[in-house]
Amino acid sequence: MSYGGKADVLRGVSLDVERGEVIGLIGPSGSGKSTILRTLVGLLKPKAGQVTVDGAPVDYASRSSLRTARDRFAIVFQQYNLFQNMTALRNVAIAPTLVKKRDRGQVEAEARALLARVGLAEKVNAYPDELSGGQQQRVAIARALALKPDILLLDEVTAALDPELVGEVLDTIRALQRDGMTMLIVSHEMGFIREVASRVAFLDQGSVVEVGPPADVFDRPTSPRLRDFTSRILRH
Amino acid sequence: MNYSLIWSQVTPHIPYLLGGAALTLQLAVISFLAGWAIGLVNASVLHFGPRPARLAVQGYVTFFINTPLLVQIFFIFFVLPDAGILLSPYAAVAIGMSLNAGAYLTEIQRAGFQSLRREEIDAATAMGFSVPQMVWYVILPHIAKALYPPLSNQFIIQVMTTSIAAIFAVEELTGRAYNVNSLTFRSLEVFSITAVIYVVLTLACSMALALLGRWLFRVKARIL
Repeated sequence: MSYGGKADVLRGVSLDVERGEVIGLIGPSGSGKSTILRTLVGLLKPKAGQVTVDGAPVDYASRSSLRTARDRFAIVFQQYNLFQNMTALRNVAIAPTLVKKRDRGQVEAEARALLARVGLAEKVNAYPDELSGGQQQRVAIARALALKPDILLLDEVTAALDPELVGEVLDTIRALQRDGMTMLIVSHEMGFIREVASRVAFLDQGSVVEVGPPADVFDRPTSPRLRDFTSRILRH
Repeated sequence: MNYSLIWSQVTPHIPYLLGGAALTLQLAVISFLAGWAIGLVNASVLHFGPRPARLAVQGYVTFFINTPLLVQIFFIFFVLPDAGILLSPYAAVAIGMSLNAGAYLTEIQRAGFQSLRREEIDAATAMGFSVPQMVWYVILPHIAKALYPPLSNQFIIQVMTTSIAAIFAVEELTGRAYNVNSLTFRSLEVFSITAVIYVVLTLACSMALALLGRWLFRVKARIL
């Protein structure tokens, strides 16, 4: 898969993900981690390459064909990106009712269940500005799950949070991992990545440099660039 | 000035004037809502549309902002009949005011599109919203909230502007005040009462809009 204009932001990214796997994407800023996730969900248009889910190719050619990408992938953003004018419940329920044309009563029942699952059963009627950052991010996770994606994309979901709120969001993701959710996680929480990821991919300058189990990538890096990266983060 | 006030000659006409005020309000509401809809579509086109459509919208806005409303209504009322489009004075005024307000409300709402939170648009796009769905469910509430003061301001301006309908013999408040003046020649009394009705009308509108804003968009607008 490639993406970019004059200078390619992504080139030669190739990755196979098994169902139920959690892949951690790490790398220096500007290495293309978020670009991969945004391309998968159809926010950026790839120039070349292909994405296949369950043997079926995902078509990124036109706005209407992106429907398949959005059936497959759902993304959670760094800044939560909740709709400010809607309650938590409406944030979670709106896309399934509006985009997937599902029955509103049924969708709202599911949305309540999802909010309960992320520990926010009491906050269904709260607006985003009445919630803490951690709570907002958990609503955003519930909103992504409401789309019933095959693969959940988490883009630096704890980076904008106050330190004391990071734990609750990470707990939510841990629970998803235990439930067998397939996830691609971009994060700087290296300890967390090491814990939940089945494999870690190290990206640099738009390419996957190294892929492997967390223990290998973090403790026995083979490429000099990864060694340099891990030594810098482990120093902190 | 030696003028003795004789209110009793005018007070019987107050119900007649209030009837005109109702028409004033009706014209203002119609032209504001139509103008808002025009402005919203135009602002969407300016934000999402292709270049020819954007140019067309810019042409419309430039034309209507840089010519007087009165000339625009004269055009609709006197020139369109030549093309076989014959309109009542009321319809001509309502259409002229709508198109005129549409130009101003395009400009106001264009600013609202520029102040949109990119994150919400990304989220809506990633979840597969169509452009109309995005405008209706995400952008419009944002605009209504962020632009509450200039939008309600524009509505008050619409209320004032309706007085132009008097020129076309539409019997809204100013038109009826003129009629009562011709009948009684108690100018000071007639136009004082008319002015008071306008003030009460606009203050009531402002309060209603502020309450509406609180209720619909959780805008913390001052009631008075």
